Amino acid sequence: MSIMKFKNTKKVVNLISLVSLVFGTLLISSCSKKEQTDEKVLNIAVTAEVKGMDPIFANDRYSANEVARIYEGLLEYDYLKRPYTLVPNLADALPEVSEDGLTYTFKIKKGVVFQNDEAFAGGKGRELEAEDFVYSIKRLADPKLQGLGWWLLDEKIKGLNEWRNKYAEKDVVDYSEKIEGLYAADKYTLVFKLSKPFPQFLYSLAMPFTFVVAKEVVEKYGKEFINHPVGTGAFYLERFNPSSKRIEYVKNPTFRKKLFPSEASEEFKHMLTDAGKELPLVEKVTVNVISESQPRWLNFQKGKIDYSAVDKDNFDSVISEGKNLSKKLTDKGISLEISASLDVTYTAFNHDLKLFENVDLRRALALGVDIHENNKLFYNNTALPAQSVVPPGIAGYMKDYKSPYRERDLAKAKELLAKAGYPEGKGLPEITYDCPSSSTSRQIGELFKKQMSDIGVNIKVVQNTWPELQKKITTRQVMLYGIAWGADYPDAENFLQLLYGPNKAPGANGSGYNNAEFNKLFATASVMQDSPERTALYEKLNRIASEQAPWIYGVHRQNYTLQHSWLKNYMSTDFESGQAQYLNIDLEQKKKALDKL
Amino acid sequence: MNLWSYIIRRLLYTIPIILGVCLIIFAIFNLTGYDPAAQLLGKHATAKQVAEVRRELGLDKPLAEQYFDIVRTAFTFDFGRSWTTKQKISDMIREGAGPSLAVTLPSFVISTVMAILISIVVAFYRGKFIDRFLVVKFVGMMSIPSLAYILFFQWFFAYKLGWFEISGFERSFPEFLPYVILPIIIMVVLSIGPDVRYFRTVILDDIYQDYVRTARAKGLSERVVMLKHVLKNSMIPILTYVVIQIPFLILGALLIESFFSIPGLGGMTVKAVFDNDFPVIKAMTILSAVAFIMFQLITDVLYTVVDPRVRLK
Repeated sequence: MSIMKFKNTKKVVNLISLVSLVFGTLLISSCSKKEQTDEKVLNIAVTAEVKGMDPIFANDRYSANEVARIYEGLLEYDYLKRPYTLVPNLADALPEVSEDGLTYTFKIKKGVVFQNDEAFAGGKGRELEAEDFVYSIKRLADPKLQGLGWWLLDEKIKGLNEWRNKYAEKDVVDYSEKIEGLYAADKYTLVFKLSKPFPQFLYSLAMPFTFVVAKEVVEKYGKEFINHPVGTGAFYLERFNPSSKRIEYVKNPTFRKKLFPSEASEEFKHMLTDAGKELPLVEKVTVNVISESQPRWLNFQKGKIDYSAVDKDNFDSVISEGKNLSKKLTDKGISLEISASLDVTYTAFNHDLKLFENVDLRRALALGVDIHENNKLFYNNTALPAQSVVPPGIAGYMKDYKSPYRERDLAKAKELLAKAGYPEGKGLPEITYDCPSSSTSRQIGELFKKQMSDIGVNIKVVQNTWPELQKKITTRQVMLYGIAWGADYPDAENFLQLLYGPNKAPGANGSGYNNAEFNKLFATASVMQDSPERTALYEKLNRIASEQAPWIYGVHRQNYTLQHSWLKNYMSTDFESGQAQYLNIDLEQKKKALDKL
Repeated sequence: MNLWSYIIRRLLYTIPIILGVCLIIFAIFNLTGYDPAAQLLGKHATAKQVAEVRRELGLDKPLAEQYFDIVRTAFTFDFGRSWTTKQKISDMIREGAGPSLAVTLPSFVISTVMAILISIVVAFYRGKFIDRFLVVKFVGMMSIPSLAYILFFQWFFAYKLGWFEISGFERSFPEFLPYVILPIIIMVVLSIGPDVRYFRTVILDDIYQDYVRTARAKGLSERVVMLKHVLKNSMIPILTYVVIQIPFLILGALLIESFFSIPGLGGMTVKAVFDNDFPVIKAMTILSAVAFIMFQLITDVLYTVVDPRVRLK
């Protein structure tokens, strides 16, 4: 009897445990819902993991954005102004530039401190000095570290390349060695001397690669520095766990007094409600790595993330034909923001091949493409057909310019094909089209093949993994390849350099286009300061890039972003670094809106 | 043969296997010919910097030296750092193993136990309605792609009903439970069909043997026949099938990890392949090979436990 009783008791205990486990799980789930409205937490979803928290390795947008929550640079883009305008961040003002455009002198802000960390005496972050920038730039140039942003400064600063080359073969790099073009004139004055005029230099100083780090922290953590970010930025991270799919930042208690801007371009005037308020506006930032579109979309709909791009798969159910948001979503307080992306997609010719020296052939192929069908099938008709290489939003883009080789014209394409020596495509070999291995890239390739067959050109689509494609481009083993380019900084030079002969692969000019006139004009324009004359040169280059058809242009993509009503001051931008400090959460509105979700 | 000398001999056999695995990794890495240096540097790579990075990564060393580096890694388990993330690979594996096992281990245990129990029932009622019904049901379940289960379960149970978190992971207990229960349920649903079908076949093979007829002739109850005689004799193929899956548990479940944002080793390995992160690929391949060999050895030893007729040679 007692044994029976014991057995039953055990069963009951097991049952209770099971029930508690299930209810416990549900309770934990519901607790997290309450936490959503307790404090101002910005919830962000990103699609890829962060490589690490060292500015010199932040060469993808995901890593760059995370690095920029903690670290800062001398300059930043004015959050509420378009076109993009550089303003001082850790610099006290924009630099004094010498008449020859070679010397840049910065005064840095006084009283800025690094975040507290054991690396500093007493664990208290010390004041930022000009010497910290010298050290940080040298780290980017350090041949032992192989920083991924070295291309930014390669052959730009006097003596820096020599310093890098000198230590490439040595075991230890001497950071104390003076460099002619990079030094601290005093505690708060930083001087750069360039080896040649490079007006885009200032953009480099707004990019995370050049953000400032503290020598003590780098030396204390050594190779683990990548997991111990300590900057001067608005947010603080106790320890970065690279394998985690969630990064949680808290407001930096020692952040300097930085205010929300009080001026804005017309389109951002509505964001001036927070003008003059101290940054950051939220207590925490949570970044969730969600690589798949379904969970990202479901989390957004549940209010667990504050904004989300509209995925291709959900597009039709979310956006109506008139590019309006569906009523179901507007009723929930969700709004849509459309913004142009500074990018261009294209199909490049390999100009090393004699075949593509023939401009009539290139133009014929360009005329065979129906970009509107492409736009409809792959971009839900949201993209802008590219007329040339420079995207809208930056000087050099010609709003009213129409390329003579943009709109599909089969008769003219066939005529040009015959003129090129290949009537009806006869005598033309099979042309390979290399593309990345994603299904969308393959479908784009298949559509291209179909469109080319209409003019008698035989295309073979070849899919490659990304490294495979990169290698093929670099080693010139391609005929045509489909690819895209996104802006590193908002200057047409960043796009036009893709067609500059001396930048031939493995440089940025993967197609190997080499046009003497283009090269000469580019060499002149690329060292000019921003001016109407330079813009005129950019436009001329852009026109050549269109009419010579070195590529078959694709589209300039647009971002469609949804945001919840409680998120304030958000806009989609190509340069998101540091954006989180300007964003705000309206908790009252969030409480109300969550009930509707 | 003495058990220990058998184990030592089998362990010695692993040396040429590991050397072969190293050779295959080395050959694939060098034959595929992607340049990891160019990939690391991205769109701004210059020939000079590619050459510098190749030197820093040791890719300019003679091929023989590169091969011996891989062999040294395999025997010391000193995997170094990832080329892409600069993280210590041993830390990456340690951090990723927990989340992977948090999903795969419970689902493996639950699905195996359930599958064995269901197989005994359907084998017992072989040819009857319950057998046919369950077999048809499981074959039907197997016909649905795993992605469909993931998409539907995530949408219905996590989003629509709100019973579980949609995605994410917590490392502390019990906070991680809402994140792993749904992935576990999906994995059980995914594996129970093939398991039942296999175990049922194995059990049915034994049910028609002479010794079962003899047992029944002796007047033993069906329960005793099934559990004491049939199940015991079916254990060898079941054991082989089950134990061989264990090393793969640590590799996680790629799709599940990806859809539920679980920071496991499956996602890590696939990302390393996409990034051409050779040190990580190398570490995961070597570890998988070693684990596979070890669990095969364990299976062999376990044979002697479940069936005294088996002798180690």
